[in-house]
Amino acid sequence: MPPRATQPDVLRGTLDLFILKALSLQPMHGWGIAQRLEQLSRDALRVGQGSLYPALQRLEEKGWIDSEWSATEQGRRAKYYDLTPAGRRALVVETAVWHGYVEIAELILRST
Amino acid sequence: MKYMVKRWRKRLRALVHTDAVDRELDEELAFHIDMETDKYIRDGFHPDEARRKARVAFGAIRKHKAETRDARRMSWLPGVSLDLRLGARMLRKYPGLTLVGGLAMAFGIWIGAVTFELVGLVVHPTLPLPGGDRIVQIRLWDAESNDTEPRALHDYVIWQEALRSVTDLGAFQNVSRNVVADDGEARPASAAEITASAFRIATTAPLMGRTLVESDEQPGAAPVAVLGYDLWHRRFDARPDIIGRSIRIGDGYATVVGVMPKGFAFPVAHELWMPFRTAMANQSPREGPAITVFGRLAPGVSIDAAQTEVASLGKREANELPATHAHLLPQVKPYAKLFMEPRPQDMWLMLSIPLFAAMLLGLVCSNVALLLFARAATRETEIIVRSALGASRGRIIAQLFAEALVLGGVAAVVGLVAAGVTLDRWGHQYLAINYAMLPYWYDPHLSVATVLYAVALTAFGAAIAGVLPGLKVTNGLGSRLRNGTAGAGLRFGGVWTAVIIAQVAVTAAFPAVAFIEQRELWRAEAYDVGFRAEQYLGVLVEMDAVSGSDVSGQKDTAAHGARYAATLEEMRRRLEAEPGVSGVTFVDRLPRMPHHYRSVEVEDASGIAQSSGVAASSRLGDSLTEVSAAMIDPNYFDVLERPLLAGRAFNNADATSDAHVVIVDEVFVMQVLHGRSAIGQRIRFVAPTGPKADAPVAPGPWYQVVGVAKDLGITSLTHRNRDRGIYLPADLASTGPMYMTVHVKGDPMALVPRVRAVASTVDSSLRLSEFQRVNEVQSEVLWFLSLWIRITLLLTAIALLLSLAGIYAVMSFTVARRTREIGIRVALGASARRMVASIFRRPLTQVSIGVVIGSALAALLLVVTTGGGVSVSGALMMLGYAAVILGVCLLACVVPTWRALRVEPMEALRAE
Repeated sequence: MPPRATQPDVLRGTLDLFILKALSLQPMHGWGIAQRLEQLSRDALRVGQGSLYPALQRLEEKGWIDSEWSATEQGRRAKYYDLTPAGRRALVVETAVWHGYVEIAELILRST
Repeated sequence: MKYMVKRWRKRLRALVHTDAVDRELDEELAFHIDMETDKYIRDGFHPDEARRKARVAFGAIRKHKAETRDARRMSWLPGVSLDLRLGARMLRKYPGLTLVGGLAMAFGIWIGAVTFELVGLVVHPTLPLPGGDRIVQIRLWDAESNDTEPRALHDYVIWQEALRSVTDLGAFQNVSRNVVADDGEARPASAAEITASAFRIATTAPLMGRTLVESDEQPGAAPVAVLGYDLWHRRFDARPDIIGRSIRIGDGYATVVGVMPKGFAFPVAHELWMPFRTAMANQSPREGPAITVFGRLAPGVSIDAAQTEVASLGKREANELPATHAHLLPQVKPYAKLFMEPRPQDMWLMLSIPLFAAMLLGLVCSNVALLLFARAATRETEIIVRSALGASRGRIIAQLFAEALVLGGVAAVVGLVAAGVTLDRWGHQYLAINYAMLPYWYDPHLSVATVLYAVALTAFGAAIAGVLPGLKVTNGLGSRLRNGTAGAGLRFGGVWTAVIIAQVAVTAAFPAVAFIEQRELWRAEAYDVGFRAEQYLGVLVEMDAVSGSDVSGQKDTAAHGARYAATLEEMRRRLEAEPGVSGVTFVDRLPRMPHHYRSVEVEDASGIAQSSGVAASSRLGDSLTEVSAAMIDPNYFDVLERPLLAGRAFNNADATSDAHVVIVDEVFVMQVLHGRSAIGQRIRFVAPTGPKADAPVAPGPWYQVVGVAKDLGITSLTHRNRDRGIYLPADLASTGPMYMTVHVKGDPMALVPRVRAVASTVDSSLRLSEFQRVNEVQSEVLWFLSLWIRITLLLTAIALLLSLAGIYAVMSFTVARRTREIGIRVALGASARRMVASIFRRPLTQVSIGVVIGSALAALLLVVTTGGGVSVSGALMMLGYAAVILGVCLLACVVPTWRALRVEPMEALRAE
C-alpha cells in the first residue's frame, strides 16, 4: 500500500497509529488498549473514551483490525480487538509516514 | 479474503440488525466503565465513589455512543448513499437523458429477462413436484431411425421386473376422451390412462376423494376416473358431491373417485386420469400402444448409474430379440426435459440467445455511456475540483458508476415489470404455438433466477455506462489540473464514432426487417382462399376408438371406420336440417392449413407433348412434381359454391379404391401442364426420392384427371408461393379424422352450440375440437408475425432515439468545447456559413457513413429474402427513408449549432 498523505487531523491519525501499535503485541479489549497506551506513555497520555471507541470502529471498518467477543480472565464477556494482516502492514507504513512527518517538522522548526 | 468476507458480514449485520449491534455497543461501553470502576476501587475508593469517578472520566455516554455509531456507518454507507442520492438528483436534473437512457436500458433488460426466462424453461425445465429432479423417463431410442420407439409395453414389463435403480416404475398413454357433463354436452378432455404409481411419484394429495390405486387396473375392476381441478370446475360446476358419481366418458361410464388440486396436470398437460388397463402379459416386442415410461431414481442412485443398468438390460434384449431390438437403446432421461428437449446442435443456439441479449444491452449501454460521458464532460470542473480536494480516481469513477446504477436500477424496475407483463400475457401463448401439447411445467413467469439475472445485467450495464465514461473523464486528470487546460484532454475518439455509425446503420437497416415481416403479414392477410370462407365453420371431428382392453386389430379398425363414417353422415343429415345451414362437407385439411405433400409424375400424353419439358423429363423420372393433396367429400365444391372449371366432380363411387380418379386445381394446370387441357391426363404418385433411392421405386397406379378446380386455399398460409393442388376422393371410413365444413348464413360461430348439441345426440363419443371460421384458420401465424413486427418497430424506435440522443450529446459537447475557438473565428470575421459547415462536417460524415452502411444492409436483406431484385418503388422507399434518417439526425445538430452561432466573441474570449 502506498503511503497516504497525512491527514489534516493529526491527532486522530496518531491515535489510530497508537492503537495499532498497542494491538501489535496481543489482542485486547477497549479498556485494555486505553490502559496500555497510558502505561506506554508513562501516564502522559490519557486516551479519552470519546475518541477511543470511534477510532476502533473506524479501524475495523478500514479492515485493519478485527473484533471478537470472548471472556476475560475474570470470566466477563468483552469485545477483543486484534490486528488483521492489512492492519500489520498499515502499522509499518503509518509508522514510516509518521517518522517522515516528524523529520519534516523538525527541519522546519529548527530552521528558524 | 477471510477478513473481507467477515467485514462485509458485519456491515450487513449493522444494517439489518441495528438493535443487536447497538446493544453490543452498550455492553462494550458498560464493560469499560466497570473496569474503570474496579480500578478506582483497587486504588482505595468507596465503590459508589469509584463508579461516579469512572462515569465522570468516561464523559457523556450518549455522545460517545452516537460518535461511535457514526464511525461505524460514516466510512462507507453515507459515501455510497451519497453517491446514490447524487445519482437520483442527476436523474431529475437531466430528464432528457434519464428518459432516453432509462428507456434504452429498460428495453435491454426487458429483452434480456424475457429471453432468459424462456430459454431457461427450455434448457433447464423443472418439474414442480417434490423431488421432481429425480423423476426420470425411460425411453427406447431407435438408433436406426434416430427417433424414439413408443411401443414399449414389452420392455416396460421387463424393466418393471428387473430394474433396481429406478423405483415406482409407471407408464401412461395419451388418450383423448369426450366427457359428458350434466347438461348432456360432450366435450373432449385431455386424458391419460396411467398406472397408479404415477400418483406415488407425483406425491400430490387429491383435493377430494382418492387417486388411482393398483386394484383399479385389474381386468374386472369397476371403471373409475380422477378429474383435474379445471375440468371439475368447467364441466361440473365444482360440485362437491362429484365423488362417487358415475359420469359418461367416451362411450362408457366411469365413477369419479377423486379430484386433483389446481395446477396438477401430471404427466404432461392432463385433466382426466383413468387406470392403465392395457393387457401387459405376453406383449409382443415393438407392438401395442404408444406409451411413456417413467419412474423415480432409487435413493442414492445417480442418473448415470440408472442408465448403466438400463443399458445392460437393453443389451440383453438385443441379444435375445435381434429382429426387433438390434437397434434399440433404452435411455434414462430427466422427466422434465422429455417433451421439449433441444437437440444438441440447437443447444448453442439456445445458449447464444441470452448472450445476444447481454450484447444488445452492452450496445445499448455503450450508448448510454456516450450520453453520460458528454454529461460528465460538462461537469469536468466539478470533477477537477473534487479531485483537487482529495477524491481519488476510484472515488470519482465510483460516483459515476453509482449514477449509472441509479439510472439502471430505475430502468431495471421498468424492464422487469414489462417482462413480467409480457410473460404473463404472451409467454404461454408463444410456447403453446410452438408445441402441440405444452407440458404444464412450462409456465413462463418472472422467476427469482430471472430477476437475479436482470440485476446482474443491470450491474453489467451500469458498469459499461458508468465506468467507461469515468475512466475516460478521469484519465490524465492530474496533468490537466496542473496545466489548467480543462477540456483540452477530452475528445470523442474513434470508439464513440464507431458506436454512432453502427447506431445509425442499425436504425437505417431495421425498417427493412420490419418491412419484410409486414410484407409477410400483408401476404398472409391478403391470402385469397377462393371462396367466401367467412361463411364457413370448420371443426375437427374425431371419435374415440372402441374402448376395451384389447389392442385393436384390423377388424376393430374397420368396424370403427364404418361407425365413424356412419356417424359423420348422420351429423351431416341432422345439421343440414338446421335453419341457416346450407351445406355440410368433409375434408382432411381445412384451407390455409399445411396439406399433405405428395410427389407425382405426369404421363407423357400420347406423344404430342414431346416438346414439353415437363412431360419429357417426367418420363426420366428425375423431375418429380411436388403437390399438395386434399382428401375431399364428393360434394366439397358444391358446398363451397365453387363449381369446377372443367370436367366433373367426384361421385360416391369414386372413393372406392379402384376408381383412381383425381381433380387438379388451376395452379397445377398452369405450372405442371403449362395450360394444356387437364381432363384425361394421367398422373401417378411416386415415393419422394430419398438418399437411398438408387433402386427404382415402384410407382403406384395411374390416376385419371376428371376435373379442374379453382385454387381453393390448398396452400399453407405460411407459404409464399402457391402450391399445386390435387384433390382425391375421401373414404370417410378409412381416411382418418376429418374436418367438417359447414356453410352457414350469418355468423358461423353462432352455430357452435347447435353443432355440439347435435354431436352429443348422435354419438357421445364424437370429439369436436378446433371450432373456427374457415377464414381464420391458422390465424395464430398472423398473431406471431404481428408480434415480431411490433418488436422490430420498437427496436427501431429505440435505436433511432439513441442515435439522436448520441448525436445531440456529441454535438453539444463539441460546441461547448469549441466556444472559445468559435468566438475567436467569428471575431476575426468568419462567416456564419463557414462556421456551420465546420461544425456540421463531422456529424454529417458520421451519419452519412452510417446511413450508407445501413441501407446497403437493408438492400441486401431485401434482395436475399425476395430472392430477386428490389422493385423501383421499394428502392425509392428505402432512399426516402435514408433521407429521413439523415434529416432527423441532422435535426439533432440544430440546437447546438444555433447555440454556437450565438456565441458572443467577447464572452468567448473572457470565458478562459
